Amino acid sequence: MKQAAAPPDAQWSGPVHAGVKAPDPILLPDPALRFAATAQRLDKLAAGHPMDAWLRFMARLARAQHVVATTLGPATALSPAVVAQAAEARLPPLAADGHRREAIWQQGLALLLEYIDGSDLPLAAREAMEQLRRSEAATLDQLADDFLRGELAATDAGVVVYVAAALQVYFTCSAARLRIEGLRLLEQRALCPCCGSPSVSGLITATGVIPGTRYLYCSLCSTAWNHVRAMCITCGGTRQLFLQGIEGDPGVIKAETCGDCHTYVKLLYQQHDMQVDPYADDLASLGLDILVAEDGYGRHAPNPLLLMG
Amino acid sequence: MPLTRREFIKFTGLALAASSLGMLGFGESGEAQAAAVRPFKLTRATETRNTCTYCSVACGILIYSMGDRAKNARSNIIHIEGDPDHPVNRGTLCPKGSALLDVVHAPTRLRVPRYRPPGGTEFKDVSWDYALDRIARLMKDDRDKNFIAKNAAGTTVNRWTTVGMLAASASSSETSYLTWKAVRSLGMVVFDNQARV
Repeated sequence: MKQAAAPPDAQWSGPVHAGVKAPDPILLPDPALRFAATAQRLDKLAAGHPMDAWLRFMARLARAQHVVATTLGPATALSPAVVAQAAEARLPPLAADGHRREAIWQQGLALLLEYIDGSDLPLAAREAMEQLRRSEAATLDQLADDFLRGELAATDAGVVVYVAAALQVYFTCSAARLRIEGLRLLEQRALCPCCGSPSVSGLITATGVIPGTRYLYCSLCSTAWNHVRAMCITCGGTRQLFLQGIEGDPGVIKAETCGDCHTYVKLLYQQHDMQVDPYADDLASLGLDILVAEDGYGRHAPNPLLLMG
Repeated sequence: MPLTRREFIKFTGLALAASSLGMLGFGESGEAQAAAVRPFKLTRATETRNTCTYCSVACGILIYSMGDRAKNARSNIIHIEGDPDHPVNRGTLCPKGSALLDVVHAPTRLRVPRYRPPGGTEFKDVSWDYALDRIARLMKDDRDKNFIAKNAAGTTVNRWTTVGMLAASASSSETSYLTWKAVRSLGMVVFDNQARV
């Protein structure tokens, strides 16, 4: 380039399949696939699993979520101005604890409870469903607020599973209606750029533009966002990071433990199993959580369907 | 303690009874899971970022090693792959880079300084002390003999043009800065690093 000449526009002019590309920073969920995929995967994982009863129940819940996500009309989409304002301030546009939920989420919950066939479920699970059916709208909203703000009483750990499932559907459908061009990653890279919730697990891809990229999957709105690998998502530490797995397993799931802040996040390697699902496999790998917890590590954030006081 | 969905939680076999799983009547599943993992141990691997040693492109790599660094055990490199987060190569590697693991474990890999005297036919292993003393001696002799303090016009130039140096490809900006400071202070002008070739 000559002095004072026009600068190159840095656009790749070679063949479209060549050149070094950057991974998509954000992947918005598809409500028509998200819950069906989780249900299918849970069914597969439940076979011969020590927790088969729980996983089959979770699969049933995911199938009910799928019905709600595909039959219920979507919530009103956020106006582009609101999204732009949030992106400008580096805040999540659908902030879980600040967003004004529309009443449609309660219709979703009612539909969810209606669709789950509870006849052969344990008594406690059926009672929790009955309790929710009888609750008034204000009570349900209070329960949802407490869940989203982390102020739930420990005795509600059972009931909240259905509420969390209905909120997952509501937020997933809302996130799916956002326009991806308007979104930005947050400065806190461990939080979802759509709703500001923590992730449920990380997926190391084996396909796509850049195989090997890590995507964190939102525990609430199912959005996936890119996060640098080999770095603790809690404290950003890199010095004392270990990938821990259960001896003799196929290596699909590893816990990335950080010796600096003593937390871990689960990573799923698509390379070893293309069917892996960030939500189903997280629930089914509770054994790894138990072993890593015994080593003194705390989990980055819980799965909303398995809360613990 | 309130139920949180943001803070760290610890799963233990006992605490599962008070979790969502236990509260909905699936306590047996939790107990079965805790019992099922009891006989198993955890494996540990480390994932480390580095730069490929080969050429000036300086691709990012991820190096996996087994062994616990904290427990004084020898760690063993088990796998090397392209770093998907590195803007230069985004996870890709050339055939040479893909074979880095074999370089690490090559039996012919250079581990100690070797020396072949002028007129000699074979290399022999020497100590680091010997090698560094010898290099320093030869550099000093050459610099004393060929150093140019002033040019023909009498301007101070402080040049040493008879010896050159080529630094490695895996150079960060800081390494390059140090290379410059160390070598340029001797008056050396013929030097570069492989990362710029």
